Amino acid sequence: MRGFAAFVRKEITEIVRTWRILVLPGMALLFALTGPALAKYTPEILRAVAGDQLGNLKLLPPTYLDAYGQWIKNLSQIVLFALVIIYGGLVSSERKSGTAILVLTKPVSRSAFVIAKAVVHMAFVALTIAVGTALTWGMTAAMFPSAPGSALWKSTGAWLAFAVLFVGIMALLSVLVPSQAGAAGIGLGVYVVLGLASLWKPLGTYSPAGLSGAPASIAAGHDVAVLWPILSAIALAAVCVGAAAALFRRGEL
Amino acid sequence: MSHAIEIRGLTKVYGAKHALRRVDLTVPEGSVFGFLGPNGAGKTTTLRMLTGLGRPTSGTVRVLGHDVAMADNAVRASIGYLPDVPGFYEWMTAPEFLRFAGGLFGLRGRTLDDRVTVLLDLAGLTGVRTRLGGFSRGMKQRLGVAQALVNAPRLLMLDEPTSALDPMGRKDVLDMLASLRGRTTVFFSTHILSDVERICDTVAVLDRGRVVAQAPIEELKARHSSRKVVIEVASGADELAAALVGEPWVSATTRTPEGGIEVTVRDMEAAERAVPALIAARGLGLHRMEAGEVGLEEVFVELVGGGSQ
Repeated sequence: MRGFAAFVRKEITEIVRTWRILVLPGMALLFALTGPALAKYTPEILRAVAGDQLGNLKLLPPTYLDAYGQWIKNLSQIVLFALVIIYGGLVSSERKSGTAILVLTKPVSRSAFVIAKAVVHMAFVALTIAVGTALTWGMTAAMFPSAPGSALWKSTGAWLAFAVLFVGIMALLSVLVPSQAGAAGIGLGVYVVLGLASLWKPLGTYSPAGLSGAPASIAAGHDVAVLWPILSAIALAAVCVGAAAALFRRGEL
Repeated sequence: MSHAIEIRGLTKVYGAKHALRRVDLTVPEGSVFGFLGPNGAGKTTTLRMLTGLGRPTSGTVRVLGHDVAMADNAVRASIGYLPDVPGFYEWMTAPEFLRFAGGLFGLRGRTLDDRVTVLLDLAGLTGVRTRLGGFSRGMKQRLGVAQALVNAPRLLMLDEPTSALDPMGRKDVLDMLASLRGRTTVFFSTHILSDVERICDTVAVLDRGRVVAQAPIEELKARHSSRKVVIEVASGADELAAALVGEPWVSATTRTPEGGIEVTVRDMEAAERAVPALIAARGLGLHRMEAGEVGLEEVFVELVGGGSQ
């Protein structure tokens, strides 16, 4: 257990001391600071760019929900794609560099190695997104007359369950596929498949596939039931990490 | 005597390639054991099986009395391992890596501080604050040896530990390994014969996946020196050398710097009968005839033959 704790500390320190601290937090910070401003001034920007071409088309005045929608759109596309690419090498990069060998010939089991990585990075994503969400909320409150937080936190919570699922999926793929790019390619394929699967109502209602579109609907102020998709996403993430640990234990290094 | 390592019938197959073929090997506890072999002989594969990084196709591997296939953290807590090309976290410094490695063994506090200080000194890295990404291969190799010792292991396994070191670094590492004799079992693979001759008490030679010899070094050399005869005659050495080449019990002849003839023989009894007769028949005066001295290099070349890669 002490070896596990030392490895967890290493993972956390590695995040703080390498490029990892710049990418996801940098994206979250950028989107949190610019999203509400972009939402507020989009109509004016459009009017300035399009001029008379808008004709009689009336642009509705922006609300705090537009800012939330902007935040969720950025998370669902850019941040999720970044997660898939970054975590495509979660385990395989340590195999390739030889660092896994030095760790795994010491009293750290292979299961602990995989689980520690997955849990630390799930927590890192959750913390980053929580801070980004709080910033988004604050920026929105500063730019709009009112900014009730309920839709923002609910939609981000639903997206976070989807993101945790993808960290689990990428942990599994990074054990199965030696190449980071290869694992990321398959991860993006899984994202597309889940998006298509959500079109079939039973899957959209009860499976993680429902989380591919639900956060945007919640951010837009709609009432969407996401309990089952969230629970199934978390359960599937746990299954993926468990499978990754089992496969890593059985394979050769 | 108990054994630190016991390998029985170990076979490893990668696709169509037999990396190891029914390898049997025992390493006595407390010994400094050299695992010799040319490149591609299967040394690294054997070490991977010993550390549990690879899985045998068949056979059993026991380390410190435990089957490696069933080994848990308790066994890994008693071994130290250095791979042939150690991989480090490049963002760490040497003290940080040693502290991390010690932490994986549950070391902390004063014990860990003292261990890190001693090992940095041993590796010649005291005061070096460069990140590991900027280390030379030799510095990484020395740090690799240090991290393998962080838990004061009962069994230290090293894969080509001196291959990236300069002569001074090599001497330091070999002296350090020799100083562990009797306290820690040291098992190291290498193709550098002089390293083995310098510090090992026992050696095994691996060739194309098979152990072709295992014995204490002196015994191995004695076994093979009985196949060499050095002859010195008063005159006519060239004539005698030419005559010896045609004898069925002779496999090779070379001239020594002193003008004598070194004969590699297939049958020592036949040589002992025939050599005096050949000299007498030519009327040459016999000055000396004795068993030749062989070095480990000659034994190695003889064992692995010309088929090594």
